Amino acid sequence: MDLQYAQNWLNDILNEVSIQFQKVPGSAIFLRYVKSSYQNDPVRSAVELFLVLFAIRYLLSPKYSTQKKSYVTLSDEEIDELVDDWMPEPLVAPQTPFEEAENEKRPVIVGPTGPKSKLSNGRTVTNLASYNFYNLVANETLKEKAIQVLRTYGVGPCSPPGFYGTQDVHIKTEADIAAHLGASACIVYAQAFSTISSVIPAFSKRGDIIVADRAVNYAIRRGIQISRSTVRWYEHKDLEDMERVLEKVVREQRKKPLTRRFVVTEGLFENVGDMLDLPKTIELKLKYKFRLILDETWSFGVLGRTGRGITEHQNVDAAEVDMIIGSLSGPLCAGGGFCAGSDEIVEHQRISAAAYTFSAALPAMLATTASEVLSMLQTNPEMITSVRDNIKTMWAQLDPRSDWIRCTSSAENPIMILALKMEVVLGRKLSIADQEQLLQDIVDETLANGVMITRVKSMPRAINATTKDIGWELQPALKVCITSGLSRKEIERAGITIRHAVTKIMTRKR
Amino acid sequence: MNDGKKGSRRRRSSSLLYQEPPESMEHMSDQSALPNLNANWVNAKGAWAIHVVCIIGLKILFDIIPGVSQETSWTLVNITYMFASYLMFHWVRGVPFEFNAGAYDNLNMWEQIDNGDQYTPAKKFLLSVPIVLFLLSTHYTHYDLTYFTINFLAVLAVVIPKLPFSHRMRVGLFSGNPEDR
Repeated sequence: MDLQYAQNWLNDILNEVSIQFQKVPGSAIFLRYVKSSYQNDPVRSAVELFLVLFAIRYLLSPKYSTQKKSYVTLSDEEIDELVDDWMPEPLVAPQTPFEEAENEKRPVIVGPTGPKSKLSNGRTVTNLASYNFYNLVANETLKEKAIQVLRTYGVGPCSPPGFYGTQDVHIKTEADIAAHLGASACIVYAQAFSTISSVIPAFSKRGDIIVADRAVNYAIRRGIQISRSTVRWYEHKDLEDMERVLEKVVREQRKKPLTRRFVVTEGLFENVGDMLDLPKTIELKLKYKFRLILDETWSFGVLGRTGRGITEHQNVDAAEVDMIIGSLSGPLCAGGGFCAGSDEIVEHQRISAAAYTFSAALPAMLATTASEVLSMLQTNPEMITSVRDNIKTMWAQLDPRSDWIRCTSSAENPIMILALKMEVVLGRKLSIADQEQLLQDIVDETLANGVMITRVKSMPRAINATTKDIGWELQPALKVCITSGLSRKEIERAGITIRHAVTKIMTRKR
Repeated sequence: MNDGKKGSRRRRSSSLLYQEPPESMEHMSDQSALPNLNANWVNAKGAWAIHVVCIIGLKILFDIIPGVSQETSWTLVNITYMFASYLMFHWVRGVPFEFNAGAYDNLNMWEQIDNGDQYTPAKKFLLSVPIVLFLLSTHYTHYDLTYFTINFLAVLAVVIPKLPFSHRMRVGLFSGNPEDR
């Protein structure tokens, strides 16, 4: 009897449910759908049902993050404790005794710079520490022209070139540089330093490959870092090592998607002063299908008969180099930098090079000065020969005659980099810091005798970077900048002063 | 400086399936430097409606081709949508525009959406669309076994890569060693 009762009750419930179900709007459609989809095929219906159930489960699941938690959850007390314990580090690290001593003795020039400069202590010294190779600082015609342009155009355009910063003088300067170099196009940047560090990331991105010389300057290193590219270093000026690296890259990348590949190097190396073998480099980059980014910051306006740089000096067509980066600020006595190359390369930078897009354009007077100096270099190559003569004179006083130092610069480079001879360093077991101290003493001693020179201070280490990361240690060196503003006699005398200062410091009793 | 020999991007085993290795610190800071415009639009207004619009458009397109039966038309709509969404969400990696130095080059769009979070509203919607479309198309193909099989395989191809299990999962056969890229 109980069973009968239960069955009746169940039937009632089912009837009730079906009546209620039919009252729900759309239930007829649902029933029809289920009926027509069943079609005597339970397996397929089960698959569909599974899919529907799965979708419902997915829709109901709560959201969660797949990012790994990179922090520890702390209680309020722990947070308070940590905050109390926290001692902020100084924004700038305290000076080392070496830096302190250097800052104390740092010479300060009063008035205009020139081959003879007046210092704040009242003495007038021979200035061999400024990039004033052609003594254009003292050129009255340039000064007059600059003042005229200043009156017409004002101080600066105060706007990026892409908005309304570009003026007719910029277009003219770009055309002048391109014509001077023999490149098809040129783009002018407002700062020399940021030119190369924004040209590299404009072309090379994450996943692209850069093969670079270990001794490249700081601006190039920053550019490579910003570009996020994969970088392979080769030994300084070692073309065999360069070929090995290029070959390795080509071999490794053979089966992978094609990436952009660049060789980055300098014409005259800022840190060492020596010169690149451009024809051989071009041969290698063509052989392994790389593009060449050549930093001519220190060679443009210096090398070659009319100062066209390393391409003229080594008889290479400038069009063979994909990108030539140069400075208008050092030897040219103007300001800013440029990148010369094909039309496509230049046009690409106008919208994608950070320093061009986001920085105010070059002041008009600097642009006209650069143009003016270029035409001076073209029309009167004696400017360059007189500097070369002075370099020779200085070289003769230092490199062959000194027992302690050697000049690592090339014979055409007006920036003479003087490093301690290897046998001296090894014989006395001098560390990098010892060498820096000795060189600073030499600089001080030279200044005391009326000649101002400086040390190479070109590569601040990246934070936490070790020698192993860089793979190369720059040898500390003296920097002597030759100028045509001094006569042969004066250069000779300055050279003797430097040599005697070196000998005095190196032979003194410790 | 990235010298190309980072330990973090090393493939852990030689198995066919492997997980995309985690990004380096520098990589992650590049990713968060700007909002990811490539993936954020799925949360924008109208981004959901466009799926429905596209499906209706596809249906009209295939219907007006002469000689195409209702069964074929529905199947074509289904596989076209699945193929296009697979291509867009799971095949193409990185960002088509240059705005963050290639920081997303190793991730497909599904993995970029909502910064990799799972079960977000956008992801729930994007998963339901192919399932509903599949149920519709099997219904209107009158449960023919051939059509059913084709449609079912197509829906599996877009549903499986959407599962949380497949997040950053790579099939070695298709994409090769991550170090090679």
